[in-house]
Amino acid sequence: MKEQALAGMRVLDLTHYIAGPYCTKMLSDYGAEVVKIEKPGLGDAARSLGPFLNDEPHPEKSGLFLYLNTSKKSITLNLKSATGVSIIKKLVKQADILVENFSPRVMPSLGLDYKTLKKINPGLVMTSISNFGQTGPYRDFRATDLNIWGLSGILYECGEPNREPLKMGNNVSEYVAGLYAALTTLSALYYRDEGGVGQHIDVSIWEAFHTMQPSMTLVYSYAGFIRKRAGVRFPWGILPCKDGYVGFFFPTQVHWESLCALMEMPELREKPEYETPMMREERREEVTAIIVSWLKDKRMDDVFHAAQELRLPLTTVPNPEQLLDTPQHKERKYFVDIDHPETGKLTYPGAPFRLSETPWQAGRAPLLGEHNREFYCKRLGYSKDDFVKLKEEGVI
Amino acid sequence: MSALPLQGVRIIDACIYWAGPMATSLLGDLGAEVIKIESIQRLDHLRLLGGWPSPDGYEWSAVFNGVNRNKYGITLNMNHPKGKEIFKKLVEIGDIVAENFSPRVMENWGLSYKELKVINPKVIMLSMPGFGTTGPWRNYVTFGPNVEMVSGMPIVSGYKDGPPMMTGYIADPAAGLMGAVAVMTALRRRQKTGKGQHIDLSQIEAFTGFMGGPVMDYTMNKRMQPRRGDRHPSFAPHGAYRCKGDDEWVTITVSSDEEWERFCHAIGDPAWTRLPKFSDALSRYENHDELDKLIEEWTMERDKGEVMQIMQQAGVAAAPVLNYGEVLSDPHIEARGFFETITRPVTGTHPYPGFPVKLSKTPIKIRKPAPTLGQDNEYILKKYLGMTKKEIQKLADEEIIGTKPQGWAFGMEAEEAISRLKDIHTKAE
Repeated sequence: MKEQALAGMRVLDLTHYIAGPYCTKMLSDYGAEVVKIEKPGLGDAARSLGPFLNDEPHPEKSGLFLYLNTSKKSITLNLKSATGVSIIKKLVKQADILVENFSPRVMPSLGLDYKTLKKINPGLVMTSISNFGQTGPYRDFRATDLNIWGLSGILYECGEPNREPLKMGNNVSEYVAGLYAALTTLSALYYRDEGGVGQHIDVSIWEAFHTMQPSMTLVYSYAGFIRKRAGVRFPWGILPCKDGYVGFFFPTQVHWESLCALMEMPELREKPEYETPMMREERREEVTAIIVSWLKDKRMDDVFHAAQELRLPLTTVPNPEQLLDTPQHKERKYFVDIDHPETGKLTYPGAPFRLSETPWQAGRAPLLGEHNREFYCKRLGYSKDDFVKLKEEGVI
Repeated sequence: MSALPLQGVRIIDACIYWAGPMATSLLGDLGAEVIKIESIQRLDHLRLLGGWPSPDGYEWSAVFNGVNRNKYGITLNMNHPKGKEIFKKLVEIGDIVAENFSPRVMENWGLSYKELKVINPKVIMLSMPGFGTTGPWRNYVTFGPNVEMVSGMPIVSGYKDGPPMMTGYIADPAAGLMGAVAVMTALRRRQKTGKGQHIDLSQIEAFTGFMGGPVMDYTMNKRMQPRRGDRHPSFAPHGAYRCKGDDEWVTITVSSDEEWERFCHAIGDPAWTRLPKFSDALSRYENHDELDKLIEEWTMERDKGEVMQIMQQAGVAAAPVLNYGEVLSDPHIEARGFFETITRPVTGTHPYPGFPVKLSKTPIKIRKPAPTLGQDNEYILKKYLGMTKKEIQKLADEEIIGTKPQGWAFGMEAEEAISRLKDIHTKAE
């Protein structure tokens, strides 16, 4: 097999739930050795979150956990014990990277703050992901994805005008923060190996998510207005057709003309009240009604391909079944089957990008503490007796 | 000035619109020298989408100005042999070439990875079209909203009684972020082995990676997850609640029975909180509508910032729904120094969102605002191609470079355009 891009990189992974694990998944799937440090007994909190195989709650059968922890190793360790902390310090000595997403007070309270770890390994890149960052008045506040959406400014403008502001599903803010963490961690490591030193990286999920709409604070500053919720907001929208949903986008005049051609309504092009994008936005309810009534008896795939013939950016909005059945994904083998001792073979989303010379590869997620023996005995040199003792003392 | 992590890395950036420019902007933030290429014949269309329909509107696109900072900007007519020749010379001195056209565009120019590799064997090329560089749909046209749609995420987003919901923009910067991660992965490899490679990034595949939960639920249980609005699949209460004032909201999310206890205490332990129908997560989930009404009675009496303080003091996750103006002046954001005030030609002095990550040894700053059209033509052509003023003038005469767009013909004055836009957005209230 060809060597992977991040082969040889050693990552100590003290993360849980989504943002942290997604960051380290970016590293492990491209070849880094990622060792998850999990709480004895329960492990990563995502192990207790659904969806579960056959809806049966089980620490090895959480779809979310399985997806976010591919290609990683797992050891258990009680961080609240003195032995646990000293073991982390030993592992830090051998690591390039440590990633954690506890609330900011946790690592210092364990005696594992960056200052301490830097002394053990000056080349270490330590990445901390938290909702509000490691500094500032809200540092110790709690937040979930919905709270972050609210703070970002994005929630305020999404949804119907007379209803509550609306977020998307799937904890998008956590995934975004995970990617920022991966990006900056890799950059810091690049810097270190160009003759620099290690450093501490502070990722704020709030700030990270705000950059998904960097322009509206600027629009506010440039022009003094703030967008209100508007449901379908031109020039884009999702509308029902006969067998599902399609989404359209007609950013320019050419696209509007293509849409008129697609609907075989050339007379719309001539209407002075729809002449410019601004005018169409002002009359979006009228225009939407025309498109909806045209779509009523059309099949989503037919509309999609016919639109694309005209270079009109209209696409389908697939449900999960249709998503897995997408010809483009099949041809590119995007979804991959991964075998696992507790769940058998399941289909997962695959490589987020493909490198021509160094392949992406997803190994399965680890069982809780699966690599204890390998790490404690081989890597850290504990004898069999010591290993048993660690177990008895509840350290692992 | 302190060092930057990607100092010495040079990026030749042919990206347009949002996703590609976001990728190179992030790498620029991290210290790479990014040379952005547009042409006066064909501007980066993002200037058009976010700009005003006024004569200098292409310099007023907030989204363009937001995702093109820390870059040099040049114009180059790639359909002219001399333009292409200059591009190839830049490839020679580049570490990375980035583009997000339909796959056929670079091929038609004779600038595919295969051809670039001959010019510069160590080059890393990032190609990030919507559907990827291969497959039956590779030449299909997609924009950010389409990427969001095709990922399937809108199907599991939206009011529980409403249609699928989308933001219309989130997939663009998300795919751009993935593009930057991809470049760093390849650059790490090159640092170790000296070898370049080609990155094939399908924006749709990248964004579909955020769909782990619903995809796994389908592959494990054949379940299509429903739309849930702002609710959580298993915890309650979880939502946005109306506060005192006009269109003022707070989000409150309770993630455990212990947090529910703290929540009840924070609102003064009213009798209804002890009703059996709210006693555990499952019963609260089943009676979510009723629970929301009771909570809203309490929040309606209060300011959203006050609710956050009360909840957070009690250990409950809650935060106000801020509009963009309020984000700018939030005390925490100010204390973190997230926004940076930058002066740019044409647009003047404004606060821009900064880099959302703090690196202790190599802090990231906005060093340069987004370039005005062709702003750095002379600087780059002189520095890297050794061109004289005369030669550069000749290129301008031949319309291979320039600083004024061709075919930008909007008659409306900026003030009128802005006031009409304001009008549209106020009507939506």
